[in-house]
Amino acid sequence: MDVIKNKRLAIIMFLIPGLLVYLLFVFYPILQGVILSTYRWKTVSVKVFTGFDNYIGVFQDNLFWKSMKNSFIFMLGTGLIQIPLGFILGYLLYLQLRGYRYFQTIFFIPPMLMTVAVGYIWGYIYSPAIGILKPLMQAVGLGKYYIPPLADSRTALFFMILAQAWNSTGIQMMLFNAGFMNMPEEVIEMSTIDGVYGWRKIFYIVIPLSWEVTKTVIILQLTGALRAFDLIFVMTGGGPNHATEVLPVYMFVQAFQNFNIGYGTVAAVVIFVLSMGLTMSLRKIMGQEII
Amino acid sequence: MSSIAINKKINDNRVSLLKVGKKARIVIYAFMAICSILVLLPLLWLIFTSLKTQAELTQNIWGLPKSPQLSNYALAWKKGRMGLYITNSLISTIVTIIITVITSTTISFILSRFTFKLNRTIYYLVVIGMMIPIHAAVIPLYIMALNLKLQNNLVALGFIYAAFRIPASVFFLESYMKSIPKELEESAIIDGCGIWKTFVNIILPLSKDGIITIVILAVLACWNELLVAMLMLNQPFIKTLPIGLMGFIGEYNSEYTQLCAGLVIACLPGLIFYALLKEKIVKGMTVGAIKG
Repeated sequence: MDVIKNKRLAIIMFLIPGLLVYLLFVFYPILQGVILSTYRWKTVSVKVFTGFDNYIGVFQDNLFWKSMKNSFIFMLGTGLIQIPLGFILGYLLYLQLRGYRYFQTIFFIPPMLMTVAVGYIWGYIYSPAIGILKPLMQAVGLGKYYIPPLADSRTALFFMILAQAWNSTGIQMMLFNAGFMNMPEEVIEMSTIDGVYGWRKIFYIVIPLSWEVTKTVIILQLTGALRAFDLIFVMTGGGPNHATEVLPVYMFVQAFQNFNIGYGTVAAVVIFVLSMGLTMSLRKIMGQEII
Repeated sequence: MSSIAINKKINDNRVSLLKVGKKARIVIYAFMAICSILVLLPLLWLIFTSLKTQAELTQNIWGLPKSPQLSNYALAWKKGRMGLYITNSLISTIVTIIITVITSTTISFILSRFTFKLNRTIYYLVVIGMMIPIHAAVIPLYIMALNLKLQNNLVALGFIYAAFRIPASVFFLESYMKSIPKELEESAIIDGCGIWKTFVNIILPLSKDGIITIVILAVLACWNELLVAMLMLNQPFIKTLPIGLMGFIGEYNSEYTQLCAGLVIACLPGLIFYALLKEKIVKGMTVGAIKG
């Protein structure tokens, strides 16, 4: 009896510190956010309960829908570049041609750089004053088409996607590569002996054998894109004319620049629900464990 | 004899395993070379720019600097308070590491080694946090920090970062600890070790590799973090490197050569981390994502 009592006490003592930190800084703020989204804020300390008014307001806000659209384009754009490119690079490294380690090291440098710094680096590259994009285009005879990409609302989001892809494709490459390295070597070997190589090998052997990794990469990429904030905040702050304002930026602008905490928390709830919903439905579609 | 030699060759060299033709090989190298240039060109340009004088930059955007201006680095270091910001980032990172390790190992230990009624409930309550983006919590965290006077406190910042690392860390460590054979701790208990001793003397040492993985992932996550840091810290001397860098660039926005030197300095800690721990980082990121 004594032993069991001690064990129960020990279990509680071990769990308390961790659960306390987690509940206080993760769980409680999320619940608090849902509650706060039903208040109208006069100042940071004075608030009035308004029910669903903030939700109605946000859902009637054109800028909110624009940020949803931007988030979706950003997700699709980065996914369409990073997933295939990561797959190809991961596969080429898997071939282990002579010197592949040098390439591997180089391709993984951008994810190791500070994201904020990467934002400024690309901001400078695109800049008309000191950037290399303009002279580069002039060198290949396209100089007259140069417009500062981040200053034009038609091109800003696209060039943002390019910067993001430069920054993080190395991660997809690494994940794919690790997946390929886990493929059973005998199957690969047998198929080579049977005369399956080149493209056919990729489509009939490699993709099916590494499907688990591909699923993981797709889920991580799409849900990660929904959280994109740093690069965009640093490079454009959501501009020009809200052209790069994705959901987290909309949330930040509403809460901390317009001081409309009600709208900000509604956006936060939307981000939360979308993240959960997207992760769970992607896992369901792809036949993984939901949690 | 010859068959052994062939086998060895196949194992050592994937080219024969996968059969890559000469033409294909040329295309592959060309493609990887182009990608390498695309990765390295912006960085080389950044380094060249950081070594030029402001006047030189306007005339010569591309080329090598005539005489490297190391003074840009000295000025960026001083004006940008780089040393201070790196120290601040290190403090919050170290707090994050300590708290992440303490909280995740204790939770994982209990959930992986003891059967009790609420075990799975607690597990799912914690692990579901992996789907929660930190963005969804920042506004309440900001208000909480205001009310509890936790702003401009690097230790509090470390606690918040650690809290958001708990779900993924427990998810990973719990399954890691489950793979440790039960017999080991049973014999320890028979030898009279209590739960605490079993944890410290047996489970923790055997989980070393798993702990290294969660630490690496925590470092990568908090070293770069911008949004929470920006809201939690607003005094010039208590900024972490990302927001310190933003302040520096905002303040001296046209002295490009010094700003580029500042950007190089800001990237160095990450690159040093990468150079020292390349294998472990790559392994940590992959097993963290693809639960191995």
